[in-house]
Amino acid sequence: MRGAFSNALVRLALADPKVLLLTGDHGYALFDEFRKRCPSQFINAGIAEQNMVGMAAGLARVGFRPFVYGLAAFVPIRTLEQIKLDIAHDDLPVVLLGDGAGFVYSHLGTSHQSTEDIACTRVIPGLEVLSPADRFEMTACMDYAYAANSSIYLRMGKSDRGDVHTNPIDTLQSGRLLKVRAGRTDRPGLIATGSMVRTAVDIAQEQNLTVWSAPTIKPLLIDDVCAAARASTGLVTLEEHSVLGGLGSAITEITSEHHPTRVLRIGVPDQLSKYCGTYDYLLNEHRLDSTTVARRVDEFVASI
Amino acid sequence: MTSPETPAIDMGSLRRFEPARMRQTVLEMAYAGSTVHIACAFSIIELLTVLYRSHLRYPSNDPHAENRDYLVLSKGHGVMAQYACMRELGWLNDSHIQNYFKDGSELKGLSDSRIAGLEVTSGSLGHGFSVGVGIAMGLQRKGTDQKVYALVGDGELNEGPIWEGAFVAAHHRMDNLMLIVDKNGFQAMGATDDVLALGDLSAKFASFGFETLEVDGHDEAAIDAAIHQLWTKGIGKPKALIARTVKGKGVPFMESDNRWHYTRLNAQTFAEAINALGLPGAPK
Repeated sequence: MRGAFSNALVRLALADPKVLLLTGDHGYALFDEFRKRCPSQFINAGIAEQNMVGMAAGLARVGFRPFVYGLAAFVPIRTLEQIKLDIAHDDLPVVLLGDGAGFVYSHLGTSHQSTEDIACTRVIPGLEVLSPADRFEMTACMDYAYAANSSIYLRMGKSDRGDVHTNPIDTLQSGRLLKVRAGRTDRPGLIATGSMVRTAVDIAQEQNLTVWSAPTIKPLLIDDVCAAARASTGLVTLEEHSVLGGLGSAITEITSEHHPTRVLRIGVPDQLSKYCGTYDYLLNEHRLDSTTVARRVDEFVASI
Repeated sequence: MTSPETPAIDMGSLRRFEPARMRQTVLEMAYAGSTVHIACAFSIIELLTVLYRSHLRYPSNDPHAENRDYLVLSKGHGVMAQYACMRELGWLNDSHIQNYFKDGSELKGLSDSRIAGLEVTSGSLGHGFSVGVGIAMGLQRKGTDQKVYALVGDGELNEGPIWEGAFVAAHHRMDNLMLIVDKNGFQAMGATDDVLALGDLSAKFASFGFETLEVDGHDEAAIDAAIHQLWTKGIGKPKALIARTVKGKGVPFMESDNRWHYTRLNAQTFAEAINALGLPGAPK
């Protein structure tokens, strides 16, 4: 998935000299290829994320296409006001890349973890929010972000969980849910995003549940969400993000108004990490490990 | 916005961007809208006069011209001074002035980039300068000779991104960028020296790698000369012009009285302030 990200970035930059990559002194190995092939389009803006995001707005104002990279804890969280006022306010074509979202930096503690970025960016008018699940979605999201020519936040979470799609995605359609697995219509369906699509696919086998991936969290097409609700007896949302304000909230905002149905929101409880350890350990601490998620889904299925 | 064809106001015997006339516009807006930030606008009037008259290159009928020089008003609460310039240009008309802050007014109390003629959305401080640094970097990459002026308040220098941007501007040798500090010595709650002492600003910016000059921010000829001098000195260095100004300049009872950061005009103070400007035709 990180390879797909780097490849797409290099390809876009080679094709368009206006594409610039700005980083807040992060991405040491990730940008080796970019620095080698597009050195003049690489800008290390220093450990100064607020200025970097403001600067990206200035670059976009005079015709450049900045991609601004940081850890999700910093871009967008530390720089949220710059994103709102300097970029989204005028729908400037800036792509914000928030890496390591969720618990990727499991050993580093809360400063480098981000489970609030979807909630914070989703409420900024004009800002679209993307959250790819595998390398195919990543490539499609990068192409979409470039073509959209508008303000976009692209969330990059745990990247080594394997493919969830079997083939490349031709063109990402904004707001659409992608069916990853077809299952029984007399059971609840699963809608997941990012790293948790892999979890959803894994636990869906036993009960033969349908799984949709949401590579775009904002916008979300009302028709697609309602169709998913109609094709199942309830919905379960899964995300490596707070249960407050993220995918689960976005889905229930639609269902509550357009197609009332029961929704189980699985995500990070309203808490920060207390301990450190492996990624799997952190998922366990926050009740996002496959065993706990499967048990909660089973209980939900049984309750319907 | 008015169309580019809208004629500029009748300036009578005064030249365009005449400071007293611009202050009159600020007072008219502030009185019409019962707004604050009068003194914050008054301290930058002469700086804007000199910039618009003699340094900013722009077609007077196209605020969006791609080849323009950029004036970034980072201290967004001084926006009435820039509205006054836009009125001089005919980009705003009397209706904009009289309807300021009325329901549906496009013109807000702080700089909004959706208004043609304003480059950034500021007022939350420490934003505009970073955007200006990005514009300067972009123009530098394009190889144009366009210039970027970023006007910041001295209180605004409390904000961290100003210093982040200063690092970047110097590192990237942005000699197309001029930071202008409106050093009026006050911020919202008191004197800058009492809130967070700024120390020697010239020395601070010089240590970052800026070419710096200090100037009397109300002496038009001195400002003009200083700007010329900065552009010709320090090849490869960003510029910092430290302008010593008086908050509330132009109306004696407002000068260096920080209450006029937040005080609104009434009929009496409006009349007294207009009178103090000594404009031709004004009642004595």
